[in-house]
Amino acid sequence: MSPTYVYGVVAADTVLPQGLRGLGPSGAVSLIADGKLAAVVGDVPVDRPLGTRDDLVAHESVVDAVAGATTILPMRFPAVIEEAGVIDELLGPNEEFFLRALADLDGRVQYTVKGRYEQDVVLREVLEDDEELHALQELVRTLPEDASYYDRVKLGELVVAAIEQKREVDAAELYDRFEALAVAVVPHAPAQPEDVIDAALLIDRDDIDAFGEAVEAIGEAWSGRIRFRLLGPLAPYDFVASDAVETGA
Amino acid sequence: MTVATQRAGGGGGSVERSGGGGSSGLADVIELILDKGLVIDVFVRVSLVGIEILTIDARIVVASVDTFLRFAEATNRLDLYGKGKGGAGLPDLVQGMTESGSKGKTTGVVEGAVEKVGEALTSRREERDEAPRRRPRQRAREQEEE
Repeated sequence: MSPTYVYGVVAADTVLPQGLRGLGPSGAVSLIADGKLAAVVGDVPVDRPLGTRDDLVAHESVVDAVAGATTILPMRFPAVIEEAGVIDELLGPNEEFFLRALADLDGRVQYTVKGRYEQDVVLREVLEDDEELHALQELVRTLPEDASYYDRVKLGELVVAAIEQKREVDAAELYDRFEALAVAVVPHAPAQPEDVIDAALLIDRDDIDAFGEAVEAIGEAWSGRIRFRLLGPLAPYDFVASDAVETGA
Repeated sequence: MTVATQRAGGGGGSVERSGGGGSSGLADVIELILDKGLVIDVFVRVSLVGIEILTIDARIVVASVDTFLRFAEATNRLDLYGKGKGGAGLPDLVQGMTESGSKGKTTGVVEGAVEKVGEALTSRREERDEAPRRRPRQRAREQEEE
């Protein structure tokens, strides 16, 4: 009975890309097939808990390297199961669910787009738009640091609120643009005030080149004000149900 | 297709691109694989409590006093550049050029954040680690990676 690390689930006829390196001591990544499905698996380090930086990166790089070539249903980190359980507890009991998900996502791949304000540019806009803010900033500047604590908090709070107002307008426009490019879009809540958009996009593989050009054009259009990052191709992390899969235990 | 790194602006360059397959930063990786994907087993998650708390923290921090102070400071710093400028003409232009020219600066910010997450990850993990004998080895490994 040996523990097995599961990276994801693919169609049984999948050919894994060359050069995959897993997080186990052997680094090997292989398939365990059962009917029309296969699990992408590897060994597990047994002398330490999982969770190092290398473990995380290895999981992601295996999953997304496979995603670059074919549809993979990604497992959340970390997914460990007894080797016998890969078929008995994972693939078997969830066959229908996995097959349906693979069919839905067939020929599609995820990209994640993130847009962030150029901080100085948006701050300048905010100050120029609002007399009151500008006055408060002048006040804060004349006071010694100790005396200005509450005014600084207030200033920051107002600035953040003003940026968030701008974001509402800009994000709405950006979502319109990106929704027109994607099969489906999952928005994520912005993590920081200067984050304008953070969204997972599901793209047809056949459209990848056109999509890349369209994103580039959006980046060009907003250049100097919003800086974009595009991650992908990724496994469809945001487009698989994240509910716990039955383990039949 | 192969998953190649396209980071260095393979295309027009107005959008920073990174492919999957290990070329993303640690923060991006964490967001993807700890938050999403199918869950099959809660057993091993126990050893990752620190990481999960970290990702949740990162989201709650959004509207904190620290954030406000950070923006107040950024706003004040901005005034130093803008001080004495007559209008929104040349200084703005110059400013814009310096910004778009200093690619290193923006990249630095992104990577700084990633490193911070990495650090927090390490320290949290060590904090709640019940097996101190693992620590030196683990640190040594982290340092090697630097």
